[in-house]
Amino acid sequence: MKRNLYVLLSLLVLASVVLAACGGTPATEAPAATDAPATEAPTELPATEAPATEAPSAYEGMMVESPDCDYGGEVKSIEAVDEFTVKFTLCVPDPAFPSKIAFTSFAIQPAEHLETTEGKPLENPIGTGPYKLESWERGNQVVFTRFDEYWGDPAMSQTLVFRWGTESAQRVLELQSGTVDAIDNPGPDDFAVIEGDANLQLLPRPALNTMYIGFNNNPQVDGFDNSTNPIANELVRQAIAMGIDRNRIVDNFYPTGSEVASHFTPCSIPNGCVGEEWYEFDAEAAKALLTEAGYPDGFETVLNYRDVVRGYLPDPNIVAQDIQAQLKENLNITLNIEVMESGAFLDAADSGQLVGLYLLGWGADYPDQTNFLGYHFGAGSSDQFGDKFDDIVDPIEAGAQLASDDERAPHYEAANDAIKLHVPMIPVAHGGSAVAYKAGLEGNPHASPLGNETFAVMGNGTDTFVWMQNAEPISLYCADETDGESLRACEQVTQSLLGYEVGGTAVEPVLAESYETNDDLTEWTFTLRQGVVFHDGSSLDANDVVKSLVVQWDAADPLHTGNTGGFSYWSGLFGPYLNAPPQ
Amino acid sequence: MTTYILRRILLSIPVLFGILFATFTLGRLIPGDPCRAILGEKATDAVCNEFIHRHGLDKPILVQFGYYVNEIAHGDFGRSFRFSKPVTELLIERLPITVELSFAALIVSLVVGVPLGILSAVKHNTWVDVITMLWANTGVSMPVFWLGLMLAYIFALALKDTPFQLPPSGRLSPGLITVPFYEIWNLELTPGTTTFTVLNFFSRMNILNGLLSTDFKLVKDAAIHLILPALALATIPMALIARMARSAMLEVLGQDYIRTARAKGLTQRVVVLKHAFRNALLPLVTVIGLSLGSLLGGAVLTETVFNLSGVGRILYEAITARDYGIVQAFTVVIAVFFVVLNLLVDISYAYLDPRIRLN
Amino acid sequence: MSQDIQTTVKLNVEGLSLNSASLWNITRRRLFRRKSAIVGMVILAILVFIALTAQWLAPYDPVKSMLDVKDYAGRAQKRLPPCIHAFGCPEEQTQHILGLDGNIRDEFSRLLYGARLSLLIGLSTVSFAIVIGTVLGALSGYFGGWVDNTVMRVMDVLLAFPSLLLAIAIVTVLGPGLQNALLAIGIVSIPAYARVVRASVLSVREMEFVSATRALGGDTMQILFRRILPNALTPLIVQGTLGIATAILDAAALSFLGLGAQPPTPEWGAMLGAERNQVFTAPHLVFFPGIAIALTVLSFNLLGDGLRDALDPRLAHLS
Repeated sequence: MKRNLYVLLSLLVLASVVLAACGGTPATEAPAATDAPATEAPTELPATEAPATEAPSAYEGMMVESPDCDYGGEVKSIEAVDEFTVKFTLCVPDPAFPSKIAFTSFAIQPAEHLETTEGKPLENPIGTGPYKLESWERGNQVVFTRFDEYWGDPAMSQTLVFRWGTESAQRVLELQSGTVDAIDNPGPDDFAVIEGDANLQLLPRPALNTMYIGFNNNPQVDGFDNSTNPIANELVRQAIAMGIDRNRIVDNFYPTGSEVASHFTPCSIPNGCVGEEWYEFDAEAAKALLTEAGYPDGFETVLNYRDVVRGYLPDPNIVAQDIQAQLKENLNITLNIEVMESGAFLDAADSGQLVGLYLLGWGADYPDQTNFLGYHFGAGSSDQFGDKFDDIVDPIEAGAQLASDDERAPHYEAANDAIKLHVPMIPVAHGGSAVAYKAGLEGNPHASPLGNETFAVMGNGTDTFVWMQNAEPISLYCADETDGESLRACEQVTQSLLGYEVGGTAVEPVLAESYETNDDLTEWTFTLRQGVVFHDGSSLDANDVVKSLVVQWDAADPLHTGNTGGFSYWSGLFGPYLNAPPQ
Repeated sequence: MTTYILRRILLSIPVLFGILFATFTLGRLIPGDPCRAILGEKATDAVCNEFIHRHGLDKPILVQFGYYVNEIAHGDFGRSFRFSKPVTELLIERLPITVELSFAALIVSLVVGVPLGILSAVKHNTWVDVITMLWANTGVSMPVFWLGLMLAYIFALALKDTPFQLPPSGRLSPGLITVPFYEIWNLELTPGTTTFTVLNFFSRMNILNGLLSTDFKLVKDAAIHLILPALALATIPMALIARMARSAMLEVLGQDYIRTARAKGLTQRVVVLKHAFRNALLPLVTVIGLSLGSLLGGAVLTETVFNLSGVGRILYEAITARDYGIVQAFTVVIAVFFVVLNLLVDISYAYLDPRIRLN
Repeated sequence: MSQDIQTTVKLNVEGLSLNSASLWNITRRRLFRRKSAIVGMVILAILVFIALTAQWLAPYDPVKSMLDVKDYAGRAQKRLPPCIHAFGCPEEQTQHILGLDGNIRDEFSRLLYGARLSLLIGLSTVSFAIVIGTVLGALSGYFGGWVDNTVMRVMDVLLAFPSLLLAIAIVTVLGPGLQNALLAIGIVSIPAYARVVRASVLSVREMEFVSATRALGGDTMQILFRRILPNALTPLIVQGTLGIATAILDAAALSFLGLGAQPPTPEWGAMLGAERNQVFTAPHLVFFPGIAIALTVLSFNLLGDGLRDALDPRLAHLS
């Protein structure tokens, strides 16, 4: 058939023309299958490895120190005391420090690797985990292979594949048709389907999360003036808080296991729900408040969200439309729905660019108030709610420095009360979610309350284990990512000093064998595990730890680049950067 | 013939410039600061000043257009802030997927559409004709995205555990890693050279790559994944082609020389295939040209439904992310692609039609 | 011989332009002889009826959740499957012919209002495109020269983009929303009409009655609008009918992608897009909007095909 020939020919010619014009920019290819030198693999005994004879004397430990604590952050210095000892000195006591430093964003990569990638190992992370990155076919899949020199229990499957699909129906379908072994977040309506299928199992994920309706009163945003912006008016925010029936949302649009949020933080987190409970739904009182604020006939604004399913928001479009309907019915506020792409939405929210209302949520990284109130409303929090309120920030910062839950309680109580007063956001729900697995898997299939499932501990009897999540990772340099989909992928490859137990929240040693602190919780000394090998064959030492963390902490470091340069987790958990450029 | 081709090529040059101007204008119509529209909201003033200077954005509009054309002529489509890499790289990554899909769909629509059209013309005014044409009309009326969802439902779930089960999304079975054919051939290529880029581009079409490296497991796996999306995408062109084939055949079959052929006692098969079909080919070529538009447009929807990471899908993602750099670049590329394909269709039309050839 | 042809052409032309009553009769007779066209017209008539009477036919407000309906007695549960009393659905349940959607709204009411929206979308975009396209095509054909060249090259450029893609690009710049989507689809479909009109203007321009009018010092514009354009009417009607089908399909696609109608507007494409996750758990929410789009588009396609055959004298022998 001549026609086909022509079409084929035309395709070839055109493609060549386009490509020739492109001048040949190479697409980054992942390294070939066997690149790590396998020389020392057989003799893996830590005792015979790394004789500590010459190391301590010759070792040049890095140290970065802030001259004082006036820059506002929590860390005073990070120091490699010797080859296997790292010491952190803090400006303020921090009882949650182990929980924080265990987080994925503070994973350790070889210092040299950070140098060679110019601080952007976005698609080629090198870690110490049970899996190493094999290839990342953008748009299709991420493939990991077992790292044979892993210091701990080897991964159960030779190959681990991450795939993704935004539609929960698609994920469930893939699981049902057997092409994947496990999926994240089946849709609320699919719970019953999965439970009724003998080939599948549904593992509920404890609701350690919060969905909230955020307000941004940032006056800096383009076309956004406090005097004309109704959202900047506290009375309006209170009116909206009272004018939304949150029970109705949770009862109708959330799966079983979800609950209405009484406070921003879930109650299962220590001091999570101290202080006054959230406003009761009262349409008439809300209307009266709105009238008092000067908007008797309502107003028009925007409702932003991303169409991405998360444990805290299982059905974004539906919930958004119900909020739209409620505000129209109860307060005559017209919301124009604007759906944004996930990454762009998070960027815009973080930098305070969103106008009006937005739907967002938070899943616990570690079970502490600093990860909820501290991360969102503390001194180092992003601009997502616009201007900060001193009576929210101050008690949060005070509470974060105390060791015992009892001592902290009054501070968090004050913070919660202030949040209820100023309404920077409306906490809506703690969403129940689940992970669905094929039935009869080997090992320990689990659903982690922190959303960081460890796939090295499970297998399906074949070489390949396939996981399907909601979305593609944004990058695999998680120091500069906040998205759960990226973090989960990073967690298979890289490790931090400490980590969280599989399927739980307790902190346990990982790259550090042990740690100790002084009495006022300002000095933390970690002893590294010996004989740990990175995926590129190099050995872990204290300088790798210091470098991996300093590039995040020190804004003047040439490697402080990352994907966007935001390093949100560092600033969220440890406050402002060192040497931050003046605003 | 040569003059015709030359003239046709010359005629498409102003159209190409028009396309560039149109996308250039679209780019300038984006509300707000062009620098931050392209580089993202976080771009600093220093970065923006450099950007403005480099693209001549402080110069008169026609000069800006000159800059734009010059950049594109050098294969520089700018950067995507969303993926933080050059758009050209993304194109090389994603375009093969769409090309493969569209090509498969075109083949499906030809293989099914042409015989159906002929059949319905030969059996004119019988129930075969009625059903075929009703089907063709329904085909052009169905939303591609809906059809895709329905196909996924039928073949992935309803037919599960039968031999007809097909995967509902993705390009390959999980974990299957492809090795580019040039590595199997042991070609020593330097990344960055044009040869490398071209071969790399073709190696990203899984079926082609599998054939070239004689990895038939890969070919089979890729083909199985391609069936449903290609079927969904093919429906509209298939129906168009069937309709066109029918009317072209009807017209030819009514002509004197066919009656003569029949009178000579030739069998129906010979008359239809040898005498009539060849002359009905011409209008078909035109309809293939027309189908390309619906193929490329439909690819956006099909890729969204079937989770394929081609040009359409990335375009959709870029739109929601307001990554105007990608939208602008991909629109240009697809339009140029479209023009060139249509040019080739026209030339083959001329080749097939002696009236044009001899002029 | 040549005299002969000219007379018949002239007769034809005059029949078309001046004697439209008889043309209408012929067309109608030819049209009604084609079964597929009748099917198309019947579907269309039903759709128009639904669109005009949606507010009386629809049992509920299409954008109101059952939770907000005063004194609603039924079980307000999202994505409730269809319940029709006549088909054995228990009397104690509230009747929802097509069930409830994800936001607990009556799917049937939304579907009915969607008909209104879809027809409006089709008609408005096509009328916009016809008006602009006719003006451009007429000017281009009548004046020729550089006017013709400029206009037609611009049309070529517009045609050089796959239509849906160009519409997407335009909506991206204008911002998502139904109005912008309509504008984009309208712009994208201009060239088809401009070409049709230009072609028929060219074919009529040099004919005797036009030259005669011109020689007699008739007003150019008058010639254009009174004499020439009516001849373009036939192909325009055909093209327009088929164009409505495409426009509806494209608008649905844009809405499906989230670029067209925004929630809670009951637009079929948007409804389908919103519930595409529920193909397996609540198929009624995906199935019915899809069928509605397909039927509407089908009716315009059938009618357009029928019209083309009926209006084209060459094809008269075929039917």
